[in-house]
Amino acid sequence: MRKKLCFLFCLLTISLTSFGQSDDPLVSNCVMNAGPGARYLKDFKIQLGKAPAPGELRYKANMSLWKNTKYRFTLCNSDDSEGKLILNLKDDSNKIVASSFDQKTGKTYAFIDFLCNKSGIYQLNYDFAEGRQGSGVGVVSMIK
Amino acid sequence: MKGKAILFVIGVIFCISCRNSSKKTEGFVFPEEDSIPVSEAEKLSPEAIADISRNISSPVEIANLLQTLQVPFSQQYLATSIDPEKRGTNFDKALKLGIFGADLGYLNMYEKTGSSLDVLSSIRKLAEDIKVGQFFDFESIKRLSQNRSNLDSLLFISIDSYNKIDNYLRSNDRGQLSALMIIGVWIEGQYLATQVVSQYPDKMLSDRIGEQKIILNDLLLLISPYCNHGSEFRALCSDLQKIREAYKPVRITYTQGTPVSEEKNGGLVVTQTETSVVEMSGDQLSTIIEITKNIRNRLIENN
Repeated sequence: MRKKLCFLFCLLTISLTSFGQSDDPLVSNCVMNAGPGARYLKDFKIQLGKAPAPGELRYKANMSLWKNTKYRFTLCNSDDSEGKLILNLKDDSNKIVASSFDQKTGKTYAFIDFLCNKSGIYQLNYDFAEGRQGSGVGVVSMIK
Repeated sequence: MKGKAILFVIGVIFCISCRNSSKKTEGFVFPEEDSIPVSEAEKLSPEAIADISRNISSPVEIANLLQTLQVPFSQQYLATSIDPEKRGTNFDKALKLGIFGADLGYLNMYEKTGSSLDVLSSIRKLAEDIKVGQFFDFESIKRLSQNRSNLDSLLFISIDSYNKIDNYLRSNDRGQLSALMIIGVWIEGQYLATQVVSQYPDKMLSDRIGEQKIILNDLLLLISPYCNHGSEFRALCSDLQKIREAYKPVRITYTQGTPVSEEKNGGLVVTQTETSVVEMSGDQLSTIIEITKNIRNRLIENN
């Protein structure tokens, strides 16, 4: 009887602690790992197959960003992704204002902190490096 | 018998723990012009509407700005006069669900747990009335509200619940309710910002109010397809047109610049040197404050 009660207690504890999380552990882990002082705003779930040829980043979404706000764009990959999730942030004139992928060195960054000084609607372009297959999450937070 | 009871409890826990959501997005090009033909709005795909809803300034961002400016919390900005128990149309309930969503964001950011529980109860009632209560994770939000150390989870679950409601409404041919909810969030956020700026004048805050001109077209695009769907929609469309008129003389100009990047702690820190500049006179701001107050108060008193 004691063992059964213990088992039930454990189940209840697991259930209650998992309440504070998303249905998708990749999303909740990415949100929780955005860093201290990061306040969640939005997330984008990205799942892409291999690109036929390298080119424009394939997943596109819009979001308004506001002047005098510091945003953090966190990039998280699932374990089975072949490529790393990358992000190009474009302004309303289609100019890249920030990129998590350095084309010269091939380096990818796990997050971008963007100090916005121009309010407007920005385009978030996501893909996996070199057009590889993968799934991941892009979380947008603001930094206090 | 005990075995059956255990199985039942496991089943209940499993059902409560497992919730699902879906989200899909595509690119969308926004109109540059001030005018939005209704026919254009009717062409919007659900994905484009999803994009528009993401462009609406989050009340959490406004509350964050108020905290940065060290503006103290005030209960008087909240829509406390709304009685969720009062009978009303779905139009009313969806709009008020949005208004309370903005209030919840404000309360959460200021960690006002006592008041947020009242707002949560109102949200629950309104959400259940329009048959979307199942998407709002009340118990988690309530629990996290009482645990002040977990603001990130609280913001995430609150916003995620609203996103789920929004997705569900749009994918079930109830897009008009989703549009109302989004507009409710925006109007309450705008009300909060304008009320604060009239008490605590600040350039950064008045600029943020002026910058709302950028997304006004999106709000109108969102509601335009429904402007002829009865008197309530007609009145709301007319209200938003009044706000748009008030914003017409506000100018937003841009200065050029190249972003500056540096590596830090494994990430990239980018400072944008291009800037947006808001040109808005005191009179123009006063008109916006007055119109916003009148519209928002009419909407919450329309019980």
